[in-house]
Amino acid sequence: MIEILNPGWHTSIQDQGRMGLQEFGIPYSGAMDMNSFNWANKLLNNSLNAALLEMTIKGPKLKFHAETVIVFTGAQMDIKHNGNKASLYSPIFIKKNDLLECGACKEGCRTYMSVLGGLQTERILSSRSQCNYITKSGHINKKRILQIKKESFELNKGVSLKSPLPSYNIKEIEVFKGPEFDLLEPVAQLKIATQTFTISHLNNRMAYQLEEKIINKLPEIWTTSVLPGTVQLTPNGTLIVLMRDAQVTGGYPRILQLSNHAVNILAQKSTRDVLHFKIKSFD
Amino acid sequence: MSQEKSFLKIFQYSETSILLEFKQEPKIDLLNELIAFKKTLNSNLCGIKQITLSYKSLLLQFSNPIKKDQNLKEEILKLYLSFDSSKSKIKSKHWNIPVCYESKYASDLIVLSKYLKLSQHQLIKLHTKPIYQIYFIGFLPGFLYLVGLDTKLYHPRKKSPTLKVCKGAVGIGGRQTGIYPNQSPGGWNIIGTSPTSMFDPDLKQPCFAKSGDTLSFYSISETTFKKIRKNRIPPNFREITL
Repeated sequence: MIEILNPGWHTSIQDQGRMGLQEFGIPYSGAMDMNSFNWANKLLNNSLNAALLEMTIKGPKLKFHAETVIVFTGAQMDIKHNGNKASLYSPIFIKKNDLLECGACKEGCRTYMSVLGGLQTERILSSRSQCNYITKSGHINKKRILQIKKESFELNKGVSLKSPLPSYNIKEIEVFKGPEFDLLEPVAQLKIATQTFTISHLNNRMAYQLEEKIINKLPEIWTTSVLPGTVQLTPNGTLIVLMRDAQVTGGYPRILQLSNHAVNILAQKSTRDVLHFKIKSFD
Repeated sequence: MSQEKSFLKIFQYSETSILLEFKQEPKIDLLNELIAFKKTLNSNLCGIKQITLSYKSLLLQFSNPIKKDQNLKEEILKLYLSFDSSKSKIKSKHWNIPVCYESKYASDLIVLSKYLKLSQHQLIKLHTKPIYQIYFIGFLPGFLYLVGLDTKLYHPRKKSPTLKVCKGAVGIGGRQTGIYPNQSPGGWNIIGTSPTSMFDPDLKQPCFAKSGDTLSFYSISETTFKKIRKNRIPPNFREITL
């Protein structure tokens, strides 16, 4: 069992999400930075879809009521294990009654903590990912108890534990043209391709808004399917990048689509971070 | 080939998805064609994870990144050209959804009826008369996109959304009417509330309705509203085969 003494800024349980249930209007969900999510499970030999904790901006304070092994990946963070500094990307051996105190994220804004065997929380609609309207809460609360499995652990020799840490200072966001991109005026297209954009304070697991505006003279479109990574242009010219918990349909023109890799990169960015789009083609 | 392509746009949307967009206004014929073609694609194309449907498009998501030499777009076009929608039978359901239009459950009914120059009774009659077509589910889990609102009831959304619209609230926004499956912020004019649960995450099929089904509303009293909500009575339906 893991007891939540303090939940941190925004901590939620995530796995790979709810792919396949979008015909009911259910968001995809799942870890925002799937790259860090995958590393966290790989380093413990967990199954690919094992549920873990996604910590945003500032991590939680936890008490362990059983022996286990955990791994941190993603954004750099000060982690104190019974008062001693612990590092990311290597297994931390936990004993009963151990305390874990997570600090603020540095360089990047989402840190992941996997647990041996994965968190054993309730599965709703084939996933343990927390999401508003689907699970009771969209995040973990103080005093919550998370069940874990008892499993034996062998250091995973196939995986390099000293893998190069990804850099979250990359400003380039790789995108493809969206279905309505070509309808934009050339000036607007040029602006999107060359300008630097700033992430607004309106950024969360559903979407990231950008501050700089693009003139929008496009007609409204019929509500249509959208994906995490779809960039919509609102009537007032705001660009909205949809993320993992976004609604599955939208009525704004779809200007760009982020690559899978770019969604993971953006997931580590936060308010006032800057970026520019690099438009690529599929060929 | 280019001629056939002029009414169907096949567009690579992401590394793992392809968008099929029909260049025509959404109509019931197109909806039936989309539903039938979705079925054809699901049984004929390899590696499909999911196909989602909206007013005039299908989004095909694949398990693996699409390779250029796969010629997927050509394969999809070929399938479409040899596809005959008249041959496919579509099984659907018609749902009867109870709505309490009493003022306690209809915060904007009086204002809206005055604005539309209708009596409250006339407004309710115009709302309960049509058979609405369910196009797809989106916006919120269990939110049905319905087509068929009487033109006399068209009314723009509120300028600023209400922060808390109740679960089950039935609203009018522009040319659309719909049921809020959960409490959420919303900009529609609320003319009633349905006691029927539109979305239950604890069920294997969390929403009873699907694309291609139809729906109509009927007016109920507050007593019936309370009874249905308390006993979680599911809505009545009848089967339709086209």
